[in-house]
Amino acid sequence: MRTAALSRGAVISLTALTVFTPIVLIFYQSLLNAPFFMPNTQLGLDAYRFVFDDPDFYQAFGNSLMIATGMLCIAVPMGGALAFLLARTDLPGKRWIELAVLVPVFISPMVLAFGYVVAAGPVGFFTVWLRPLLGETPWNVYSMTSIALIAGLTHVPHVFLYSSSALRNLGSDVEEAARISGANPLQVALNVSLPMVSPALLYSGVLVFFLGFEIFGLPLVLGDPEGHLVLATYLYKLTNKLGTPSYHLMAAVAVCIIAVTFPLVLLQRYLLKAASRFVTVKGKAARQKQLPLGPWKWLALALVLLWLWLTVLVPLSGIVLRAFVSYWGEGVNLLDTLTLAHFREIFEQPSLVRALINSVLIGVVGGALAVLAYTAIGLAGHRRQDALSKVIDYSVLVPRAVPGLLAGLAFLWVFLFVPGLSGLRDTMVSIWLAYTVVWLAYGMRLISSALLQVGPELEEAARVTGASESRTRRDVTLPLVRFGMLASWVLIFMIFEREYSTGVYLLTPGTEVIGALLVSLWAAGSIDQVAALSVINISLVAAGLAIALRFGVKLHD
Amino acid sequence: MTKPNNTLKVESLCLQYGDNAILKGVSFDLNPGEVVSLLGASGSGKTTLLRAVAGLEHPSSGRIVIGDSVLFDGAARLDLPVEKRGLGLVFQSYALWPHRTVFDNVAYGLKLRKVADADIRQRVDQALASLDLAHLAERFPHQLSGGQQQRVAIARALVYNPPVILLDEPLSNLDAKLREEARSWLRELIVTLGLSALCVTHDQTEAMAMSDRILLLKDGRIEQQGTPQEMYDNPASLFVADFMGNNNRLNGQISEVRDGRARISGEGWSFWGSLRGDAQPGRAATAMIRLERVRVADGPGDNHIALPLVTSMFLGDRWEYLFHPGHTRLRAYGERALGAGEHWLALPEQDVWIFPG
Repeated sequence: MRTAALSRGAVISLTALTVFTPIVLIFYQSLLNAPFFMPNTQLGLDAYRFVFDDPDFYQAFGNSLMIATGMLCIAVPMGGALAFLLARTDLPGKRWIELAVLVPVFISPMVLAFGYVVAAGPVGFFTVWLRPLLGETPWNVYSMTSIALIAGLTHVPHVFLYSSSALRNLGSDVEEAARISGANPLQVALNVSLPMVSPALLYSGVLVFFLGFEIFGLPLVLGDPEGHLVLATYLYKLTNKLGTPSYHLMAAVAVCIIAVTFPLVLLQRYLLKAASRFVTVKGKAARQKQLPLGPWKWLALALVLLWLWLTVLVPLSGIVLRAFVSYWGEGVNLLDTLTLAHFREIFEQPSLVRALINSVLIGVVGGALAVLAYTAIGLAGHRRQDALSKVIDYSVLVPRAVPGLLAGLAFLWVFLFVPGLSGLRDTMVSIWLAYTVVWLAYGMRLISSALLQVGPELEEAARVTGASESRTRRDVTLPLVRFGMLASWVLIFMIFEREYSTGVYLLTPGTEVIGALLVSLWAAGSIDQVAALSVINISLVAAGLAIALRFGVKLHD
Repeated sequence: MTKPNNTLKVESLCLQYGDNAILKGVSFDLNPGEVVSLLGASGSGKTTLLRAVAGLEHPSSGRIVIGDSVLFDGAARLDLPVEKRGLGLVFQSYALWPHRTVFDNVAYGLKLRKVADADIRQRVDQALASLDLAHLAERFPHQLSGGQQQRVAIARALVYNPPVILLDEPLSNLDAKLREEARSWLRELIVTLGLSALCVTHDQTEAMAMSDRILLLKDGRIEQQGTPQEMYDNPASLFVADFMGNNNRLNGQISEVRDGRARISGEGWSFWGSLRGDAQPGRAATAMIRLERVRVADGPGDNHIALPLVTSMFLGDRWEYLFHPGHTRLRAYGERALGAGEHWLALPEQDVWIFPG
């Protein structure tokens, strides 16, 4: 009993310490007039004054707002429509489409953005092929409109995930009632099904808007040629603005970003509670029956395939092609230029080989350790309603508001600032810690949904039979969530392979991971290596996906 | 099997969730070898009371004692953890651990009590055999039928000889037909093993069939307690009378009161009954009579009333008649189909209870 309480306290305080130290550090650094490692730093608002006087900051803020709004307007209607088609109707090929829809969630945005450049950029594959047909290229992937459009299209799956799980909980009787009253499938969707899941749509809308303020990879790659900055890329460009690292300025921008994202996180939390109340009121899901689309189904299928072509096929085919050819252009037969040279180059550079090994390790070993950490935190909060579980609640909530790029930066400071930790700075421990905190909320959702599936009476039965609390955990709860933990491991593996922004500031010899290297290689212009590494990155995620499918891991709830 | 000093005593137990009082001072005793049912509608606090005895809910005040050992004492701030209480609980959902075989489910309590392996094997085998489960020992719960799962849950709760076994709606997960068989089987098991059992149920027939005593709960208080017969034949209030059995209720006005008897009248009917409580003529009252006490008579007589028949329904072993006196309904049983028209009904005076209110 005592040891159980002690270990619970230890888990919770360690979690809170790990989560809040970096955030406190960001706020502290933003109030200094120079980087914290400089002598004679003073408290003050100089950093904010500098940022608020910089016209680039306002341009970046405006662009972020525009992208977020664009994403909201594109992703919510399309995600809702896609969810309705896949969850409620007899659309042909649903199984495969549903899998393909999730691809953008698991592929690094860095890779996707790069794929758009090589596929549809000024000298991209598709551009080159289509130029003879179209005369001049009617699109420009580097414009703000394109960035917002691509961001919107690639975030459709986020809306799809939330609305389809809500739609699946809806009994088909309400739709059948509408059909009998004389509504066609489109009217059923617009008048009955989608309004009934409006809480989920609203929630996913806020989520997408929030993600719009976080995105980094897409605007970094696509916005650079024409100088379009968003908040995250503005912060990234500040790194060396004044010659020395301008940590105080970056911290001030980071605080500004958190000032936007944190209220959005709170709003999401409120909406999620409201939405789950909505679902509970509906009670048990009634019998499910698919809505026949009739002749409409071919039109619907064509639209879905068009979206898939634009969002998945164009960037992925571009990047894969780019990795295997040495040059291309009008009139060039790509078969003649096939090569494995880019991959050979990678295996010749020790730092890149290290990146491959580290990436696999962070996914496999780091993912397993992260799942163990999440499980420990999950158990500490399992079926408790006290002050300590509130601490857990907020320790999970707050990091959601800190984008990966900022979290990586803050952890860099933690390792520089906290005595005794500097030895870990050049090791994968620093990367693991940052990844684990950045994905804390996601991981905790996986673990707690596994924990919630254990009926409370199974644990109570053990207690009544004579088992102490910790014994019950060991003999009943943990064995029953074993599959949930393995499933979470696979999903965390994919997420850790996909992650790129968190490692950007933690990148040193010894801590290379593919995601962060893509950012720095892209900046250095090593396009061949970026293409080859992207393909390797996609293969790693695909391997995770294959394992998940093989063992029937649910990719979403 | 149970030791003579193992009486379970619950004294003025109170329990609340936030501002919401669930139990408002409940007291009762459970003597060794006795079966007591907690009966009540949903929300009456019966399950909470059972869980509080088990230690799964935390009362705010009162005492729970078994023999010499105190399980809960609000005044002394003593709340023995669930696992230290040594009780047996059969869950409504059975709560069998899906990752363990039947044998391991039953053996767990003994393992926790550090019983030697050979003893565990022998005692579990014996428990399984006595519940006719011996051949299922190596199965997993999902391979069992509902009735078998229930027996495993009971075996698991009994194997370490708890002083009191708690049953939470033990029959509600079974099919209607199976339920009646299981009811007599369970009663037989409890009686032959000499167990002390506290049982929660919302079904009055089940409560009467299973138990030596019934506690009827209403809004967190005990409304009435007694043997099934006392509860059925001598209810203290309209609520108890209505809860037990199938009843006819007629609302009317008291027209005459004489030596504990009263005459009640409504639209076109009037009869005598025994008065429960104090009332003067002119007061509104409810008359209540069990369905099976109403008889169809050949003609007028003492306490006979004539009513128009609405319909007769064939139930297999008997007929049910429906009459419509004014805006209410009156139902009765009989052995043959009745023709349309008015019929005389005999309402024996001692079977009619009149509750002022």
